[in-house]
Amino acid sequence: MSFQEKNIVASLSTFALILGFYSIKVLQLVQTERFTATNLFWLWGMVAVFAVIGTILVSIFAHIAGGIVHKIRTNEDPHIEDIQDERDQFIDLKGTRVAYTFSTIGVALSMLTFVFGQPPLVMFCSLIFFGLLAQVAADIWRLTLYRRGF
Amino acid sequence: MAKGKISNNIRKLRFFRDEMTQQQLAEKVGVTRQTIIAMEQDKYSPSLELAFRIAHVFGVPLEEVFSYHLEDAQP
Repeated sequence: MSFQEKNIVASLSTFALILGFYSIKVLQLVQTERFTATNLFWLWGMVAVFAVIGTILVSIFAHIAGGIVHKIRTNEDPHIEDIQDERDQFIDLKGTRVAYTFSTIGVALSMLTFVFGQPPLVMFCSLIFFGLLAQVAADIWRLTLYRRGF
Repeated sequence: MAKGKISNNIRKLRFFRDEMTQQQLAEKVGVTRQTIIAMEQDKYSPSLELAFRIAHVFGVPLEEVFSYHLEDAQP
């Protein structure tokens, strides 16, 4: 697994966990009738902190673990190819396009909540949800392109 | 329009250059080894610039490294 692939796996696992955590927390807030701006802002703050710190920590862990496994299996020092060549950039762009598509659909669906008479808080809440979903979808697509080729 | 497929002889050319490793070729053309692997497995078609760089490393014309086939072409 290349340097870029490890980064994508780290990002994917982090954002999938955050998406799950966010969805469960929002459902809990709705069920317990604590769906207020204060609680939601706290949740958004948690998501932002987890997204930044989690991705960094999981990336570091993935590279260290990958290096140890490589050393054990081949008895060679791990060689890190941390350059981004044209294939990596191309796959990155394709992933970004998927993220934009999901985000666009997400924004449109979030705006629809106004049509059904929901408060702005619901719209912002679903915007964050679709933003996280877009990141997960983009990472899945990038990983697919790395594995399958194109 | 008929779909085309780009194939290459990179593996063979490496063999005839004293078994040049994928890593050595990757360093000479400025990409990662993963990209060379993907090209050899026909999982990635390189840009024109990279294709010329690879041909330059082997000292052969471009069409000796890469070839283009239409997938529904009759033999």
